[in-house]
Amino acid sequence: MTTEGKRILVVEDDVTLRETLTEVFLDEGHEVRAAAHGSEALDHLDGWEPDLIVLDLMMPTMDAFAFRARQRELGVAADARTVVISAARDLGSAVEILEADSWIAKPFLLAEVVEVVDRLLASPEG
Amino acid sequence: MPVDQEPDTPLPASDAAPKPPGEEAFRLLVDAVQDYAIFLLGRDGQVLTWNPGAQRAKGYAASEIIGRHFSVFYTPEEREAGRPGQLLDRAAEEGRVEDEGWRVRKDGTRFWADVILTALRDANGTLYGFAKITRDLTERRQAEEQLRTLSIEQHARAAAEESLKVRDRFLSVASHELKTPVATLQLAAESLLRARELGRLDDARLETGLARILKSTGRLGALVSELLDVSLLSAERQHQEREATDVVALVREVAARFDDVMDGDSRIRVDAPPDAVVMADASRLDQVFTNLIDNALKYSPGNEPIEVHVTDEPELVTVSVADRGIGLDAATEARLFEAFSRGDNAAHVPGLGLGLFITQQIVERHGGRIEAQRGPGAVGSVFCVSLPKGAA
Repeated sequence: MTTEGKRILVVEDDVTLRETLTEVFLDEGHEVRAAAHGSEALDHLDGWEPDLIVLDLMMPTMDAFAFRARQRELGVAADARTVVISAARDLGSAVEILEADSWIAKPFLLAEVVEVVDRLLASPEG
Repeated sequence: MPVDQEPDTPLPASDAAPKPPGEEAFRLLVDAVQDYAIFLLGRDGQVLTWNPGAQRAKGYAASEIIGRHFSVFYTPEEREAGRPGQLLDRAAEEGRVEDEGWRVRKDGTRFWADVILTALRDANGTLYGFAKITRDLTERRQAEEQLRTLSIEQHARAAAEESLKVRDRFLSVASHELKTPVATLQLAAESLLRARELGRLDDARLETGLARILKSTGRLGALVSELLDVSLLSAERQHQEREATDVVALVREVAARFDDVMDGDSRIRVDAPPDAVVMADASRLDQVFTNLIDNALKYSPGNEPIEVHVTDEPELVTVSVADRGIGLDAATEARLFEAFSRGDNAAHVPGLGLGLFITQQIVERHGGRIEAQRGPGAVGSVFCVSLPKGAA
């Protein structure tokens, strides 16, 4: 099934990949905001509640781990699903620590991203 | 010879012996010593006395050796070099001489000996002969050598393990770095196809999509050539072409190359003596100055000048490259020369984080040093390369 009109926050430090992911999600009919690192992402979460956070693991200034810790502390976007994207090898353990819902290993196909995102958006937490 | 001994002082069992107890006691002492060869040499080096320790160490019985010259204990090479005579001369001159070296037993086997020769003189200072004390240190030496070999092996193993670790880390970071541009390339191309499917592929969309693809291929290309540089550097470790290289001419050439690219809008100021020559691989040094000037330009937005100073010192040539750019924070400074490390404040600057690592590798191959510090007044940064003039 396809989902539309959801809110997605893309957190990725590589500018080209960030822009491309944003474009892909816009093509799918979602509302998208983008951040270059965890700290910028937290700024977006002030007064804006996404349905899904697409989160890169390693980023300058504030990485995924620091971001998730701060996010829990602040209690923001508590209902948002989270998918981790990374080129790291043992993504499984990172996903566990981050309490993320899923992960996508770099490099990936557009169809994979769309499939994972659709699945997570179609089954809201709780 | 004391004959009026007190009655309660028992005489030695051999009370008939004509020697005084002092001398007898001394003889007993020398005879009891098993671990040291203790004997006397005459003025010319012939053996006068022998003890069980000497027999044990050298294998000769007293009857076989007394009267013979002590040079029989030395190796043929040392005898030929006149070593025994030299030791006697030095002992006579300085009173005492200590020596460690190989000595030869009666059966021809060798042992590692610690020898002390002491000149014996009578009350008038006339040379009587020499006391020679020899200790067999073969076992100790073998143990020491075993330890040394062991420690060399341990070091070699630790170094090999460390270099494997470094290589693994390098490969893991390299593949990680490769995956992001590959992901972007894949996604950008697919996104263009998807846009066409959706009927949204206008010129603007096509242009941004292609620009992203080109940016990713450019980044992949740069990463691959940096990786090649690193592997070439390790291959070059064995042989390097060194020639007399004028650092000043080289720096000016590199600066001119950047000026050309920037349409003659010169931001690079070179302050240098007429020449400064080192023994170096010129094309590698070119790479060092190119990287440093490139970094200085990249990390200083605006038109702030880059200042390059060359100093010709008696033993060294130093080149400093100073910019007035974003500078270094403490965390960046600590990891500056690590492979794939980039300044936290440098996310907007394109590059892969291998430049300074390669630069440092080249400088160190030339026996030189590279250092970075914050610029004067904490503005910008200064990179300073010093190269020894002789080949390292």
